[in-house]
Amino acid sequence: MSIMKAPENTPVWVDEARCKACDICVSVCPAGVLAMRLEPTSTLGAMIEIIEPQACIGCNDCELNCPDFAIYVADKSEFKFAKLSEQSKERAEAIKNNKYMKLTA
Amino acid sequence: MAFNYDQYLRLEKMPTLWCWGCGDGVILKAVIRAIETCGWKQDDVCVVSGIGCSGRFSSYVDFNTVHTTHGRTVAFATGIKLVNPDKHVICVAGDGDALAIGGNHTIHGCRRNIDIKFIMINNFIYGLTNSQTSPTTPQGMWTVSQKSGNIDPTFNACDLAIAAGASFVARETMLDPKKLEKVLVKGFQHRGFAFFDVLSNCHINLGRKNKMASAMENLEWIDSITTPLKKWEALPEEEKKNKFPTGILKHDEEAKEYCDMYKEVQAFHQGKRKAITQDDFAKKI
Repeated sequence: MSIMKAPENTPVWVDEARCKACDICVSVCPAGVLAMRLEPTSTLGAMIEIIEPQACIGCNDCELNCPDFAIYVADKSEFKFAKLSEQSKERAEAIKNNKYMKLTA
Repeated sequence: MAFNYDQYLRLEKMPTLWCWGCGDGVILKAVIRAIETCGWKQDDVCVVSGIGCSGRFSSYVDFNTVHTTHGRTVAFATGIKLVNPDKHVICVAGDGDALAIGGNHTIHGCRRNIDIKFIMINNFIYGLTNSQTSPTTPQGMWTVSQKSGNIDPTFNACDLAIAAGASFVARETMLDPKKLEKVLVKGFQHRGFAFFDVLSNCHINLGRKNKMASAMENLEWIDSITTPLKKWEALPEEEKKNKFPTGILKHDEEAKEYCDMYKEVQAFHQGKRKAITQDDFAKKI
């Protein structure tokens, strides 16, 4: 049973036992909240990571598009979501151009 | 609280056996949300699936489920619906299941207009058996059985369903799950045969030799071959052939439903009415 209630002060959370690292959630995220990290124990060698939780706008696209019931988004009552900023859009674009991997500083 | 999918799932079967990024999972989610929106109880829903990747659909959901023989989903579902007219029967089949081996059953389900919700997951290939040509494979694509490129013309499933007499016909893609859910809800609330052609991806078996080996490349290709119905109608005739219109293509609320007519047969055998004559149908014809 996955966690249905948002852990404290978290907009989006992942059940890593179900994630297959298909990149779809990263490709649909408009705010650059999600990115993949290298994970040697995962089948495809990657795992989803929430890199910028404070930028989440609560659009739910990642949850709707996840084929594996692995990602969940909080209710509007549970978390105060941000507005989509230019900085978020640029980060999202940069992550997509980086083959959905986490940006290294 | 996030949407609780887990109450509708058989958790011991998780994670799913589908490949990473498979559209079947997105469609499964949309179906679960649509059932929740319709307010149907889990015990009142029966999910019938056939053989193929889509056949696993019935293993993952915690409704009444039947995993039937190849292509016979509509045949089994017809029996289930006639015995339990007040229950909701949902069929899930792949493109091979619904149009190749089970094409005959699909046509006659549509013709009878029985109250079955038929979801055809169309991924343009036989995915489970590793890339053989299916009835919907686009011309010119590489498949294991036609390595020189597929020459068979592509099947338009919605045209078939409309011609065969289904009263609700819609085509959607898994690119926009919100829209898919809306269309599913409309179809589920419709009384009569609801046929959904849901375009899905198979980047593993369709994409590997057709230059779309990742889920995103496959989804972009699906996006390029579909267009909303209103835009499609405005296209010139030649371009219409290259695009699939999406949305609700047919919605006939007047058509008679099969279970309703079957009640008349039951009434006759219970001595409550005279035999059905041609006059009973004369107005419709």
